[in-house]
Amino acid sequence: MRSEAEFDEQSESMLAAIWQRHRPVVIERISLLDRAAAAAMEGALNVEMREEAAGAAHKLAGSLGMYGYNEGTRLAQEIEVMLLEDSVAEPMRLWELAVELRRAVFPVM
Amino acid sequence: MRRILIIDDEEDIREVAALSLETTAGWEILTADSGMEGIRVAAESSPVPDAILLDVMMPEMDGPTTFQRMQENAALASIPVLLLTAKVQGVDQRRFAGMGFAGVLFKPFDPLTLAAQIAEKLGWVTG
Repeated sequence: MRSEAEFDEQSESMLAAIWQRHRPVVIERISLLDRAAAAAMEGALNVEMREEAAGAAHKLAGSLGMYGYNEGTRLAQEIEVMLLEDSVAEPMRLWELAVELRRAVFPVM
Repeated sequence: MRRILIIDDEEDIREVAALSLETTAGWEILTADSGMEGIRVAAESSPVPDAILLDVMMPEMDGPTTFQRMQENAALASIPVLLLTAKVQGVDQRRFAGMGFAGVLFKPFDPLTLAAQIAEKLGWVTG
Protein backbone atom coordinates (compact mmCIF):
# COMPACT_ATOMS: atom_id res chain seq x y z
CA MET A 1 0.00 0.00 0.00
CA ARG A 2 1.38 3.41 -0.94
CA SER A 3 2.06 6.12 1.57
CA GLU A 4 -0.12 9.22 1.80
CA ALA A 5 2.56 11.26 0.06
CA GLU A 6 2.19 9.10 -3.01
CA PHE A 7 -1.33 10.17 -3.99
CA ASP A 8 0.27 11.47 -7.14
CA GLU A 9 -0.37 14.38 -9.40
CA GLN A 10 -2.42 12.27 -11.79
CA SER A 11 -4.69 11.08 -8.98
CA GLU A 12 -5.05 14.63 -7.69
CA SER A 13 -6.03 15.66 -11.17
CA MET A 14 -8.58 12.84 -11.40
CA LEU A 15 -10.04 13.84 -8.03
CA ALA A 16 -10.32 17.43 -9.25
CA ALA A 17 -12.07 16.19 -12.39
CA ILE A 18 -14.61 14.25 -10.31
CA TRP A 19 -15.26 17.39 -8.27
CA GLN A 20 -15.79 19.47 -11.38
CA ARG A 21 -18.17 16.92 -12.82
CA HIS A 22 -20.28 16.79 -9.66
CA ARG A 23 -20.11 20.51 -8.88
CA PRO A 24 -23.58 21.21 -10.39
CA VAL A 25 -25.12 18.65 -8.03
CA VAL A 26 -23.44 20.34 -5.08
CA ILE A 27 -24.65 23.75 -6.22
CA GLU A 28 -28.19 22.45 -6.56
CA ARG A 29 -28.10 20.91 -3.08
CA ILE A 30 -26.82 24.12 -1.52
CA SER A 31 -29.53 26.04 -3.38
CA LEU A 32 -32.10 23.67 -1.93
CA LEU A 33 -30.79 24.47 1.56
CA ASP A 34 -31.08 28.19 0.74
CA ARG A 35 -34.69 27.70 -0.28
CA ALA A 36 -35.46 25.65 2.81
CA ALA A 37 -33.89 28.28 5.06
CA ALA A 38 -35.85 31.04 3.34
CA ALA A 39 -39.05 29.05 3.73
CA ALA A 40 -38.28 28.43 7.42
CA MET A 41 -37.81 32.16 7.97
CA GLU A 42 -41.23 32.75 6.45
CA GLY A 43 -42.76 29.98 8.53
CA ALA A 44 -43.51 28.08 5.34
CA LEU A 45 -41.14 25.11 5.54
CA ASN A 46 -43.33 22.05 5.06
CA VAL A 47 -42.38 18.50 6.02
CA GLU A 48 -41.64 17.44 2.47
CA MET A 49 -39.22 20.29 1.83
CA ARG A 50 -37.62 19.91 5.26
CA GLU A 51 -36.97 16.22 4.67
CA GLU A 52 -35.69 16.85 1.16
CA ALA A 53 -33.35 19.53 2.47
CA ALA A 54 -32.18 17.26 5.31
CA GLY A 55 -31.33 14.64 2.70
CA ALA A 56 -29.37 17.21 0.69
CA ALA A 57 -27.49 18.31 3.81
CA HIS A 58 -26.75 14.69 4.62
CA LYS A 59 -25.27 14.07 1.19
CA LEU A 60 -23.24 17.27 1.31
CA ALA A 61 -21.94 16.36 4.75
CA GLY A 62 -20.86 12.98 3.44
CA SER A 63 -19.05 14.22 0.39
CA LEU A 64 -17.58 17.71 0.77
CA GLY A 65 -14.77 16.66 3.10
CA MET A 66 -13.67 14.11 0.55
CA TYR A 67 -12.62 17.01 -1.66
CA GLY A 68 -10.97 18.87 1.19
CA TYR A 69 -13.96 21.04 2.12
CA ASN A 70 -13.96 20.00 5.75
CA GLU A 71 -15.67 23.18 6.92
CA GLY A 72 -18.37 22.49 4.36
CA THR A 73 -18.94 19.07 5.84
CA ARG A 74 -19.11 20.52 9.36
CA LEU A 75 -21.66 23.14 8.35
CA ALA A 76 -23.74 20.63 6.40
CA GLN A 77 -23.80 18.35 9.44
CA GLU A 78 -25.02 21.22 11.60
CA ILE A 79 -27.72 22.03 9.05
CA GLU A 80 -28.78 18.39 8.85
CA VAL A 81 -29.20 18.20 12.62
CA MET A 82 -31.44 21.29 12.54
CA LEU A 83 -33.54 19.90 9.69
CA LEU A 84 -34.02 16.53 11.32
CA GLU A 85 -36.06 18.18 14.06
CA ASP A 86 -39.82 18.32 13.55
CA SER A 87 -39.59 22.07 13.22
CA VAL A 88 -36.69 24.46 12.77
CA ALA A 89 -36.27 26.21 16.10
CA GLU A 90 -33.87 28.86 14.81
CA PRO A 91 -34.69 29.77 11.19
CA MET A 92 -32.24 32.66 11.18
CA ARG A 93 -29.44 30.36 12.30
CA LEU A 94 -30.37 27.93 9.55
CA TRP A 95 -30.15 30.76 7.03
CA GLU A 96 -26.76 31.85 8.36
CA LEU A 97 -25.44 28.31 8.15
CA ALA A 98 -26.64 27.95 4.57
CA VAL A 99 -24.86 31.19 3.66
CA GLU A 100 -21.69 30.05 5.44
CA LEU A 101 -21.85 26.72 3.67
CA ARG A 102 -22.08 28.33 0.25
CA ARG A 103 -19.14 30.61 1.08
CA ALA A 104 -17.08 27.72 2.43
CA VAL A 105 -17.45 25.74 -0.78
CA PHE A 106 -17.75 28.49 -3.37
CA PRO A 107 -16.02 31.57 -1.94
CA VAL A 108 -16.49 33.71 -5.04
CA MET A 109 -20.13 32.89 -5.82
CA MET B 1 -4.93 -8.41 -5.37
CA ARG B 2 -7.92 -7.56 -3.22
CA ARG B 3 -11.29 -7.12 -4.89
CA ILE B 4 -13.61 -4.58 -3.30
CA LEU B 5 -17.26 -3.87 -4.12
CA ILE B 6 -18.50 -0.35 -3.41
CA ILE B 7 -22.28 0.00 -3.13
CA ASP B 8 -23.41 3.62 -2.93
CA ASP B 9 -26.12 5.56 -4.73
CA GLU B 10 -23.90 8.64 -4.93
CA GLU B 11 -21.84 8.54 -8.10
CA ASP B 12 -19.05 10.78 -6.82
CA ILE B 13 -18.63 8.71 -3.65
CA ARG B 14 -18.19 5.61 -5.81
CA GLU B 15 -15.78 7.38 -8.11
CA VAL B 16 -13.61 8.89 -5.38
CA ALA B 17 -13.54 5.67 -3.36
CA ALA B 18 -12.58 3.69 -6.46
CA LEU B 19 -9.86 6.17 -7.38
CA SER B 20 -8.57 6.11 -3.83
CA LEU B 21 -8.45 2.34 -3.45
CA GLU B 22 -7.02 1.71 -6.90
CA THR B 23 -4.36 4.38 -6.48
CA THR B 24 -3.25 3.90 -2.90
CA ALA B 25 -3.70 0.14 -2.56
CA GLY B 26 -3.82 -1.23 -6.08
CA TRP B 27 -7.05 -3.04 -5.32
CA GLU B 28 -9.55 -4.07 -7.97
CA ILE B 29 -12.80 -2.18 -7.62
CA LEU B 30 -16.36 -3.13 -8.53
CA THR B 31 -19.19 -0.66 -8.07
CA ALA B 32 -22.96 -0.69 -7.82
CA ASP B 33 -25.43 2.17 -7.41
CA SER B 34 -28.09 0.32 -5.41
CA GLY B 35 -28.50 -2.53 -2.98
CA MET B 36 -30.14 -4.76 -5.57
CA GLU B 37 -27.42 -4.04 -8.12
CA GLY B 38 -24.79 -4.64 -5.45
CA ILE B 39 -26.17 -8.08 -4.66
CA ARG B 40 -26.19 -8.92 -8.36
CA VAL B 41 -22.63 -7.69 -8.91
CA ALA B 42 -21.36 -9.55 -5.85
CA ALA B 43 -23.10 -12.76 -6.89
CA GLU B 44 -21.77 -12.58 -10.43
CA SER B 45 -18.23 -11.73 -9.38
CA SER B 46 -15.76 -14.58 -9.64
CA PRO B 47 -14.18 -14.79 -7.21
CA VAL B 48 -16.57 -12.97 -4.92
CA PRO B 49 -15.31 -9.66 -3.52
CA ASP B 50 -12.92 -9.76 -0.57
CA ALA B 51 -14.94 -7.01 1.07
CA ILE B 52 -17.92 -4.76 0.46
CA LEU B 53 -18.30 -1.07 1.30
CA LEU B 54 -22.01 -0.50 1.77
CA ASP B 55 -23.73 2.85 2.03
CA VAL B 56 -26.39 3.03 4.72
CA MET B 57 -28.90 5.47 3.23
CA MET B 58 -29.98 4.46 -0.25
CA PRO B 59 -33.39 4.68 -1.91
CA GLU B 60 -35.47 1.52 -2.30
CA MET B 61 -33.16 -0.79 -0.36
CA ASP B 62 -30.99 0.66 2.39
CA GLY B 63 -27.64 -0.71 3.50
CA PRO B 64 -28.81 -2.84 6.44
CA THR B 65 -31.55 -4.42 4.31
CA THR B 66 -29.05 -5.11 1.53
CA PHE B 67 -26.78 -6.74 4.08
CA GLN B 68 -29.58 -8.94 5.37
CA ARG B 69 -30.35 -10.09 1.82
CA MET B 70 -26.70 -10.96 1.35
CA GLN B 71 -26.74 -12.99 4.53
CA GLU B 72 -29.49 -15.11 2.99
CA ASN B 73 -27.20 -15.98 0.06
CA ALA B 74 -24.68 -18.65 1.06
CA ALA B 75 -22.18 -17.46 -1.54
CA LEU B 76 -22.18 -13.92 -0.17
CA ALA B 77 -22.80 -14.39 3.53
CA SER B 78 -19.15 -14.68 4.48
CA ILE B 79 -17.98 -11.52 2.70
CA PRO B 80 -17.00 -8.89 5.26
CA VAL B 81 -19.17 -5.80 4.91
CA LEU B 82 -18.14 -2.36 6.08
CA LEU B 83 -20.90 0.21 6.39
CA LEU B 84 -20.30 3.67 4.95
CA THR B 85 -22.31 6.30 6.74
CA ALA B 86 -22.44 10.05 7.01
CA LYS B 87 -24.74 9.87 9.97
CA VAL B 88 -24.12 12.53 12.52
CA GLN B 89 -26.01 10.87 15.31
CA GLY B 90 -24.68 8.17 17.63
CA VAL B 91 -27.99 6.33 17.45
CA ASP B 92 -27.00 4.65 14.21
CA GLN B 93 -23.89 3.10 15.68
CA ARG B 94 -26.06 1.48 18.35
CA ARG B 95 -28.51 0.35 15.66
CA PHE B 96 -25.74 -1.34 13.68
CA ALA B 97 -24.09 -3.02 16.64
CA GLY B 98 -24.72 -6.74 16.67
CA MET B 99 -25.97 -6.90 13.08
CA GLY B 100 -22.83 -8.64 11.89
CA PHE B 101 -21.06 -5.88 10.04
CA ALA B 102 -17.29 -5.99 9.94
CA GLY B 103 -17.18 -2.33 10.88
CA VAL B 104 -18.37 1.17 10.18
CA LEU B 105 -16.53 3.81 8.14
CA PHE B 106 -17.58 7.41 8.20
CA LYS B 107 -18.17 9.72 5.29
CA PRO B 108 -16.57 11.91 4.28
CA PHE B 109 -13.56 9.65 4.09
CA ASP B 110 -10.06 10.82 3.34
CA PRO B 111 -9.12 9.43 -0.09
CA LEU B 112 -5.53 9.14 1.05
CA THR B 113 -6.28 6.90 4.01
CA LEU B 114 -9.42 4.99 3.03
CA ALA B 115 -7.54 1.84 2.05
CA ALA B 116 -5.61 1.87 5.30
CA GLN B 117 -8.83 2.29 7.27
CA ILE B 118 -10.39 -0.68 5.47
CA ALA B 119 -7.31 -2.82 5.99
CA GLU B 120 -7.24 -1.94 9.67
CA LYS B 121 -10.93 -2.74 10.17
CA LEU B 122 -10.55 -6.08 8.42
CA GLY B 123 -7.22 -7.00 9.94
CA TRP B 124 -5.54 -7.15 6.59
CA VAL B 125 -1.77 -7.06 6.67
CA THR B 126 -0.50 -4.35 4.38
CA GLY B 127 2.96 -3.59 3.20
